[in-house]
Amino acid sequence: MFLHLLKYELKVGLRNKDLIIWLILFPIVLGIFFKVAFGSIYEKTEKFSSIPVAVVEEKENEAFRQVLESIENSDEPFLTANFVDKEEAEKLLSDGDVEGIITTDGELSLTVKEKGLRETMLKSFAEQYKIRERIAMDAINTAPEKAQEVISSLTSETVSSCRKIPLTQGNPDVYIQYFYNLIAMVAMFGCMTGMHITMQNQADLSALGARNNCSPVPKSKSVLACLVGSFVLQTICMVLCVTFLAFVLKTDFGDRLWLVYPTAVLGGIMGVTFGFMVGSLACVGEKAKVAILMTVTMSLCFCSGLMMGNMKAVIAEKIPWFNNINPAAVISDSFYCLNIYEDYDRFITKLITMAVTAAVFAALGFLASRRKKYASI
Amino acid sequence: MENTVVKIQDLVKRYGDLIALDHFSLEIKEGEIFGLLGPNGSGKTTTINCLLSLLSYDKGSIEIFGREMTPVSYDIKKEIGIIMQNVAVFDELTVYENIDYFCGLYIKDKEKRKKCIDEAVKFVGLEDFVKFYPKKLSGGLLRRLNIACGIAHKPKLIILDEPTVAVDPQSRNRILEGIQELSRNGATIIYTSHYMEEVEQICTRIAIMDKGKKVAEGTKDELKRMIKNTETITIEILELPDNVLRDISGLDHVYDTNYSDGKLSVYCSGGKHNLLRILDVLQKKELGFGRVYTELPTLNDVFLEITGTALRDKEE
Repeated sequence: MFLHLLKYELKVGLRNKDLIIWLILFPIVLGIFFKVAFGSIYEKTEKFSSIPVAVVEEKENEAFRQVLESIENSDEPFLTANFVDKEEAEKLLSDGDVEGIITTDGELSLTVKEKGLRETMLKSFAEQYKIRERIAMDAINTAPEKAQEVISSLTSETVSSCRKIPLTQGNPDVYIQYFYNLIAMVAMFGCMTGMHITMQNQADLSALGARNNCSPVPKSKSVLACLVGSFVLQTICMVLCVTFLAFVLKTDFGDRLWLVYPTAVLGGIMGVTFGFMVGSLACVGEKAKVAILMTVTMSLCFCSGLMMGNMKAVIAEKIPWFNNINPAAVISDSFYCLNIYEDYDRFITKLITMAVTAAVFAALGFLASRRKKYASI
Repeated sequence: MENTVVKIQDLVKRYGDLIALDHFSLEIKEGEIFGLLGPNGSGKTTTINCLLSLLSYDKGSIEIFGREMTPVSYDIKKEIGIIMQNVAVFDELTVYENIDYFCGLYIKDKEKRKKCIDEAVKFVGLEDFVKFYPKKLSGGLLRRLNIACGIAHKPKLIILDEPTVAVDPQSRNRILEGIQELSRNGATIIYTSHYMEEVEQICTRIAIMDKGKKVAEGTKDELKRMIKNTETITIEILELPDNVLRDISGLDHVYDTNYSDGKLSVYCSGGKHNLLRILDVLQKKELGFGRVYTELPTLNDVFLEITGTALRDKEE
């Protein structure tokens, strides 16, 4: 009996045009839109690249040369030095080929053409160097026996009170969060299939519901079959969505794509149970239920940053607890944790949050739909 | 002695201040085609919903096949076929799949189910439409699909709640013939309708409902015998002097007359040769007349006399 119900739940779901439009086609269109809108913004505006500088050595500074060499030899050098004479340096700066001129003439000096973040970084670098150079020189002049120790401490890593968090080699593109939120939206749209479970099983909501209640199949079995069927349908939608984003739109989900799939599926299950719960608890007609679900879902997605990227940060500042209970934010956060953090602590916390939330939603839905007789039909 | 299939006792159902069923009682025997007749809002569908344990009720008891009917009476529900007033099918499933879905709720065995589905399809005449989706079917064909979904598992008790609403005459006749055939095959049938002709045509026993109450019950002949009117004679006559009308009104067995728009209606209660005696009066006064016809009382007359309102008036 269970398999009979499940078979037809899947058949009905797979032939449902609304499901195809809202859970498959709409995310594809929105994904393409996001790709067109944000695809190259990060590369062009946000991604950090080395700052080209011209170095004019009026007076030879071996220590500074070594510092520059060590910077340029690092994995991600923040500047690239071009040793030229003064005239050539000025020409390069005016042509925009370099963003600053560092002159070593007894003391380090910096010349920039414009004001900006990258110029500020150069200024900060030059000042840091000058301070450290002065400390080292003072140590050599005043206490030569401790000079080596002082220089070592200056060159070693800064001791910090912050805990070190290991990060992955994942995609640091801040615009990727729109795609995380897109997947969260598809997952939350699963509420529509969840709501149909109640439409199909409650006698006071539809003719089909009344008809099914007349059958000799226990309501719990019928609801469970519908729920499992909806999970399967939602899983198909989530897999299609992630696959399209990852392989067609070439969205970079980092180096743990294999974990993005089960995360999206769990998010989808949470969306279905959310719809099932609201459908069972709200004592209103189908159209009103749809309106409630769409309003709540889109509001949750808005708060998680689907429409405005910094919305989640605003919420985190004003009402930080809300991001922990907003299902859409929890789903998108789980992708973020997966992409950014090397360890799995945060990711697993998000997964547990999703699983517990889905279980609570499903339990509430079951409790509310247990009612056997209706006051009016 | 015939077994009682359905027994409703003293049922009361309230919607706030409105009493939908007012101490309603009913007993339906095995093999009957029992008609619940009444205007919209008289409580027919409420009765059916209470019977199926879909609706809660304030007072009374319901027994089906001698056992109390509750929402978890799955063994009773197994023997019931329900054809709802609103068509209850999946738009995403074909005709065959819809019947298979509902039949599968009752019959697990696939072979047996296939046989039942084929018989149901043939029974409602949807052989040419098995691969059609409901949206492609006309109103009549959709109603037939609704019936097939309800009867495919060969239930012992079949409940049809206004199955012919918005159905073309051809489909309506087919449905009514089908119901009679189901009865001949041994099913007990409860048929609700506000079309008295249908109820009169197929039902072996009828209960007339109004404002949640059972106002009369019996076979159609028994119901008609309950009322004064046994014959209504109508004569087309251009002019009818008052004294002639008085003479006709004074005849034996004539209890009421009405003359308007060139038509004389004479209502008789019992007696024989009423028409001849009326025509005799007209001939003696040398009054010419046109068409003459007599009508036996209908269930509408029964309803009219019992409730003071015509069944048809209530539908408007």
